[in-house]
Amino acid sequence: MTAVQDKAEKSYNEATGAALYDRFKASAELLSAEVHRAANMEEARQLVTQIIKDLDTPKVVYAPSELMDTLDVKSIGQAAGVTMTAENLRQQAADAGLGISQLDYAIAEIGTLAGNANSIESRMVSILPPIHMAVIRTKNILPNLLETIATYNEKLGELPRYLTFVSGPSRTSDIERVLTIGVHGPGRLIIVFID
Amino acid sequence: MATVLKNEINNALNNDNLTGALGRFGEAYLPAREKAYEGKDFEATREKIAQIKSHAAENMEALAQQFLAQAEKNGAKVFRAKTGQEAKEYIAKLITEHNVKSVIKSKSMASEEIHLNDYLLKNTDVNEVAETDLGEWIIQLCGQRPSHMVMPAIHMTRGEVAEIFSKETNQQLEPDIAKLVKVARENLREKFLKAKMGISGANIAVAETGTLVMCTNEGNGRLTTTVPPIHVVLVGLEKLVAKFEDVGPILEALPRSATAQKLTTYVTMMSGSTPAIDLDGNIVEQKEMHIVLMDNGRTEMREDPLFKQALQCIRCASCLNVCPVFQKVGGHVYGDVYTGGIGTILTAFLNSFEKAGELQNLCLRCERCKAYCPGKIDLPALITELRRRTVKKEGMPLGQKLILEKVLTNRKLFHSLIRTASVAQKPFVKGNTIRHLPLFFSGLTEGRSLPAVTDKPLRDRVGRSVPKGKVKARVAYYAGCLGDFVYPEQGEAAYKVLNKMGMEVVFPLEQTCCGIPASQMGAPEVAVKLAKQNIEALEKENVDYIVSLCPTCIEVLKHHYLDHFKDDPAWRARAEKISAKMVDFPSFVAQHGQDLQFNKLSTSVTYHDSCHMKRALGVWQEPRELLTKAGVTLTEMKGCDDCCGFGGSYSIKMPEISKAILDKKITNIEDTGANVLALDCPGCKMQIAGGLDAKGKNIRVRHTAELLAEAIKE
Ligand code: SF4
Repeated sequence: MTAVQDKAEKSYNEATGAALYDRFKASAELLSAEVHRAANMEEARQLVTQIIKDLDTPKVVYAPSELMDTLDVKSIGQAAGVTMTAENLRQQAADAGLGISQLDYAIAEIGTLAGNANSIESRMVSILPPIHMAVIRTKNILPNLLETIATYNEKLGELPRYLTFVSGPSRTSDIERVLTIGVHGPGRLIIVFID
Repeated sequence: MATVLKNEINNALNNDNLTGALGRFGEAYLPAREKAYEGKDFEATREKIAQIKSHAAENMEALAQQFLAQAEKNGAKVFRAKTGQEAKEYIAKLITEHNVKSVIKSKSMASEEIHLNDYLLKNTDVNEVAETDLGEWIIQLCGQRPSHMVMPAIHMTRGEVAEIFSKETNQQLEPDIAKLVKVARENLREKFLKAKMGISGANIAVAETGTLVMCTNEGNGRLTTTVPPIHVVLVGLEKLVAKFEDVGPILEALPRSATAQKLTTYVTMMSGSTPAIDLDGNIVEQKEMHIVLMDNGRTEMREDPLFKQALQCIRCASCLNVCPVFQKVGGHVYGDVYTGGIGTILTAFLNSFEKAGELQNLCLRCERCKAYCPGKIDLPALITELRRRTVKKEGMPLGQKLILEKVLTNRKLFHSLIRTASVAQKPFVKGNTIRHLPLFFSGLTEGRSLPAVTDKPLRDRVGRSVPKGKVKARVAYYAGCLGDFVYPEQGEAAYKVLNKMGMEVVFPLEQTCCGIPASQMGAPEVAVKLAKQNIEALEKENVDYIVSLCPTCIEVLKHHYLDHFKDDPAWRARAEKISAKMVDFPSFVAQHGQDLQFNKLSTSVTYHDSCHMKRALGVWQEPRELLTKAGVTLTEMKGCDDCCGFGGSYSIKMPEISKAILDKKITNIEDTGANVLALDCPGCKMQIAGGLDAKGKNIRVRHTAELLAEAIKE
């Protein structure tokens, strides 16, 4: 376990567990993100299956990662009858209905997700399709932005080359200051926490 | 002033879209920002940012080298461009070498600063350089300039956007915002997928780790840095910070101050080159990443002892959002990429000093931006300095110079001229005000009546006045020009209240103009002469306190005089003694007048906070408490601390803007239904009372001292 994870675990256990999750959910929903939680892997598989079925889209792209493998997202999708792909993403992600990727941390105070996005797959699937599903472990919720920065700061040698922060779906207010969701990035952000 | 600027101002003021959109935004901005900062200590955060950024500015060169080494270690190529031209040539060369036909860009002010797009289209074979930020794209399609640093197309309506997009996509589009956004997504998506190069800017550059931090909302930043196989980042040296942890405080403030968000939707931190997929679908393990670290005037700015402060700017644009002038005229009037108060300063160093010299005239000196700036920059002071340097370089119009040097510094002459004016104005005075002036003075009375100069100034009405009973302390009364020659009744009221508090009051006869007009017009030598005259006059009386009704005079005597003599220890010591005794009237009464007894006034009153009383002196609660004690019913107006548009000589130089700001104030006052407007500044009184009179409104404007004197129990 890295020092970074260690710290996250501690701050989760110590005070706040459920409170952090509730706080995150409230902040993220204010930003029009959709927040779900599964108690274990099995429940997570059911949840993800249900979401994919409800979306009713023929093609889903995903970015391979540790959590994606444990979840076995590829089989889940195939069982639900959709084409699952993690390759040739310049083309595939552009016309997929959903992209699934893992993120590393959630920031309770502001409803933001953060994580290593070095892999080109994780970036393509999270930004090109109209819907992004982010999967994350519940124990990795940090209280606020400054602590998140401090967490990365403790291990600068391990700083990802592409570190990404996402708060809700893509948005603009560039025309008459009217808020519109879904410009260049996804118009829906579905967050699945796994305990 | 150049007529071009004047024309731009008139165009802007007559553009309803613009003033409507900016006004609405300005009103919504403050409460939204407040909410975003809930639970945060803004003062502590901005203190940290100021430290981080000023440290970075001090060490700019060392940090640039460290950044370069780190980023190159992580597989990026760093090019240090001395000038905008060098930056442009480098990027053009990359385009030619890689045979790039299509480029996409996400918002970068630095690229606008050097007019990069134009250059690339003219000097390379590239077919297209597409802006992808929605606002920027709109602006690009219709060939305009951005009107706001954060919201470039804020001046345009959905109807206009529909027209522009219809033309671009060859179809008839309705003015429906959601649909228009979709059209933009589809059109730009195609461009993202076929572009070989993406060009972006950055909000922060971390020397310690070679990291570039980018904030966007739409997702175009992530696409630009992910989809094309070549990535170019153009970043100014002022974006450097020393440590990775420095990112924290800046990210806490930037989105909150810019758009009242707790964080932008996407924040991307790139520390070197990452994998990409090329146009044929092959994975490239380390894509080409070029970082152009641009100086273009920043080092020169850093070397300036005063203006280096401007490098603390994090480009949040709150100084535009809270600026009463910007809200009325928008960014186009500023005529350059960087707009508003900070834009005026940046323009001087990054574009043209001459241009900036003209722009500084737009500043009202209401000090509002200073209270909101997360970089803790004293913009009003920098603008005054710019004014001073402009005057030094270009000289002052002869008439003005003559008045300042020969008349203002000669108190007897100055005061006898004012007395003559009180006779000369006679034919134009109606009641107590001047409604119209003949010939070239007519601009002065446009939309506002001027108060008449009194035929018996305060100095002839009061002198030494002792209270009944025991003397608690000795007070010198400092009237200021308006208080002496235009509104003597306010001074008399103050005398009455002060006597009732047990104060002995004296009027030092040799007191003269505080000097602010001279400082503002860029003649600091004259201001210093006046400071010495006032210090001498006040010292002679040997008093415990010096009280004034004019917040600007107090600010000048209490603070500016110390600055005037920072290199002259003997005078500095004398100025310090005077400074320590200066108190504004409401604070003085609140502190020493607890025993005052009032009859209930029972008038309905609304209170206007003068810029200098509230923001420069931090006094706003005291007058409200005193007025409540005097029994008035106080109804707060919308925007009670919005500037009235006076700004000293501003209302003469920029009458159109001044009037537009005044109109808004008057509407807010009227909406409260109050009969009396109370305030604590003779300048504001001149402006607002003049505006009310010109519009034939029946609302009286009274200084707090007058209302207190009226209510006081004999
Ligand atoms: S000067 Fe201050 S308020 Fe203005 S843009 Fe810069 S940081 Fe923001």
